[in-house]
Amino acid sequence: MTPAALLLFATLAFPVGYTVYISFAEINLGTFTPDEWVGWDNYLTALEDDRFWDSLSVTGIYLVFALPLQMFLGFAIAFLINASWKGRGIVRAAFIIPMVVAPVIAGGIWRMLLDPLWGIANYVIGTVGLGPIDWLGDPYWAMTTVILIDTWRWTPFVTLIASAALLTLPRDVFEAAEIDGANWWTMLWRITLPLLVPMIAATFVVRWLGAVKMFDIALAATHGGPGRATTVVNLFIYEEAFRSLKFAESAAMSLIILVVTMVLTGIFLRGTKMLEERH
Amino acid sequence: MTDSIRKPRSVGRRAVLASLAAMPAAVINRAEAQQGGGFGTAEKPIQLRMIANSAFSVPWQNVMVPEFNKKFPHIKVQIDGLPYNEQLAKIMLDITGDKPTYDLYAIDDPWVPQVAETKQLLELKKDAKTWTAADYDWDDFNPAPLAASEWKGGQYGVPLRCNMLLRFYNKTHYQKAGLPEPDINQTWREFIAQAPKLVQDVKGTGGVNAWAIATYFTRDSLTPTIWQAILNAHGAELIDAQGKPGFNNPTGVKALQTHIDLLQWAPPGAKAHGFTESLQAFRQGQVANMFQWGSVYKGTAVDPGATTLKPNEVGIMVMPVGSNSPGIMRSGTHRGIWNGCVSRKSPNQQAAWAMLQWLSSKEGEYFHSSVVGAFPARKSTLSRPPAEAWQAPVFKTLQHSYEIAAAGRMWRPRSAKSDQAQTILADETARAFNGDVKVAEALASAASKIERLRL
Repeated sequence: MTPAALLLFATLAFPVGYTVYISFAEINLGTFTPDEWVGWDNYLTALEDDRFWDSLSVTGIYLVFALPLQMFLGFAIAFLINASWKGRGIVRAAFIIPMVVAPVIAGGIWRMLLDPLWGIANYVIGTVGLGPIDWLGDPYWAMTTVILIDTWRWTPFVTLIASAALLTLPRDVFEAAEIDGANWWTMLWRITLPLLVPMIAATFVVRWLGAVKMFDIALAATHGGPGRATTVVNLFIYEEAFRSLKFAESAAMSLIILVVTMVLTGIFLRGTKMLEERH
Repeated sequence: MTDSIRKPRSVGRRAVLASLAAMPAAVINRAEAQQGGGFGTAEKPIQLRMIANSAFSVPWQNVMVPEFNKKFPHIKVQIDGLPYNEQLAKIMLDITGDKPTYDLYAIDDPWVPQVAETKQLLELKKDAKTWTAADYDWDDFNPAPLAASEWKGGQYGVPLRCNMLLRFYNKTHYQKAGLPEPDINQTWREFIAQAPKLVQDVKGTGGVNAWAIATYFTRDSLTPTIWQAILNAHGAELIDAQGKPGFNNPTGVKALQTHIDLLQWAPPGAKAHGFTESLQAFRQGQVANMFQWGSVYKGTAVDPGATTLKPNEVGIMVMPVGSNSPGIMRSGTHRGIWNGCVSRKSPNQQAAWAMLQWLSSKEGEYFHSSVVGAFPARKSTLSRPPAEAWQAPVFKTLQHSYEIAAAGRMWRPRSAKSDQAQTILADETARAFNGDVKVAEALASAASKIERLRL
């Protein structure tokens, strides 16, 4: 037990504890160490910073659109590829590709594809009479772009989990329903979805925890712009820490986000449990 | 101070060199090399490690280090490349540690004050004075690039890789628009008056396929350097001598508004364009002008693998002249110098300084510019016949830009909080580019935040 506890402390508790420590201190950039206890000052500075609040609202917009979209698409695609058809294995394998592409590369590639000057995206939508769209320069489209790239990246993850969950569903229930004359829609609505509720909820929580941390796609694709339109809170904290070297204020902001995330995760988990009990 | 090989041998070498002063340089070099240049031995070489930017660490390691080793064969140098965004934090963490990993740091222009404030950089004109070669000519450096590594009267580095913000123009586009080629006296007002004509059809396809300007417009810490150059051309300073913002005034508004107005004649999607996109647009012949860092010239005008343009199509000069301040007719530019600095905690300070001396010497700098294509800082290197034909107009412009930069103090804030200030400028002015706030509001907000930094 002792080695395991020490390992856990070194890799988890110490970094978190140190972050808490420096969030109440002033960092001396000459020595790069915390040298003065400043109480809640860093927290107050963070909460008084309009850019921090802006980035929180940007993160909220991104989460509200990206998470449901990814959940819906992930499970929908899982239903489609769950049926037996030729080439299903290849499609499943291909689905993993976006997940393994480094986010910075993904952001860069999408940036090229969507550039109005030489990207292919506007050419393609132009063939059906749409566009041109300023994907990265218009604030609304820039947020759409970030959501699209993130969805392209993470929907396969949801799909893989959903596919595995579908395989675990008891066949006899569906066979009995079929004998009773249930159609496809009834089986989906009355059997499949209720049985999948725990898995959907668990997947949502896992994706939520991943999505809250997102900043690399925004960094690579839009640099957080135009204006602050795609400056999600983690990108803001990253820039404050590593561009401005404001590590103490950044630590305070990180801990505020940690607390908010834990509270919301707790609510989601409680909601999950209630759904499980209901079904 | 603790250099392992700084012993009587060093004095002996100097005596030998002095007595051999009349001999041809090649013979001296061979003699030095045989002695290891006074540093290390074949059995016990000195090992140096350096942090550099990944954009140029590889050519330094593969080209510059082997050339350096011809003179100093027993100094082994390992150069680690880092992405720009991680470099300052890594340097700060390393240099403030008890036992830094690195002996040498390549430090970007605006970072020097912050790193120097740690008191962990060698002051080269004082601490390293006795180790400096007699023929190392400090006065030969142009003042602007040398000043990039000065802080509070100390010289903490030497310029290793220079860059200046310059204007590139496509001569064919000007010809097709029926406009004369721009000259260095063109004002911003004249530039903007011509811009609509440069949005044109250069391919004969019947639609617009070329635009007037490509440059930084995206949310990036380098984007403000464009309107800063305009501000400086109008005779104003970004930060005044008291460390107060000098841009929160009508001249600042005019400068930022000019930068934002350029979007009208920029390619579609330009609001999201930065270094890469503007460069690509110019190299593909889609824009008539580009405000960009000069070091991209070779890849833009000469290298057929990187550009569609030919050297005779590409013009280069400093940015337009300010037209706002009576009596001040000044072109614009902006400085960006990578400086070589020595860690005070390095156990091999003298060898590290020997390495920097060679890289920034007349010989090393000429080799660097000839073989790697880097921009030199020395007046002598810029005035001697260049190794390649393309360098002649570029070096002339570079010399001009150094003089302008020095006269107008055209650089980012000189402060230990320079990066913080630049991040604020980028963030606040990006909102003006996006139309979220008025130009004056963005500048006022940036000024207020920068004042709180107490530069």
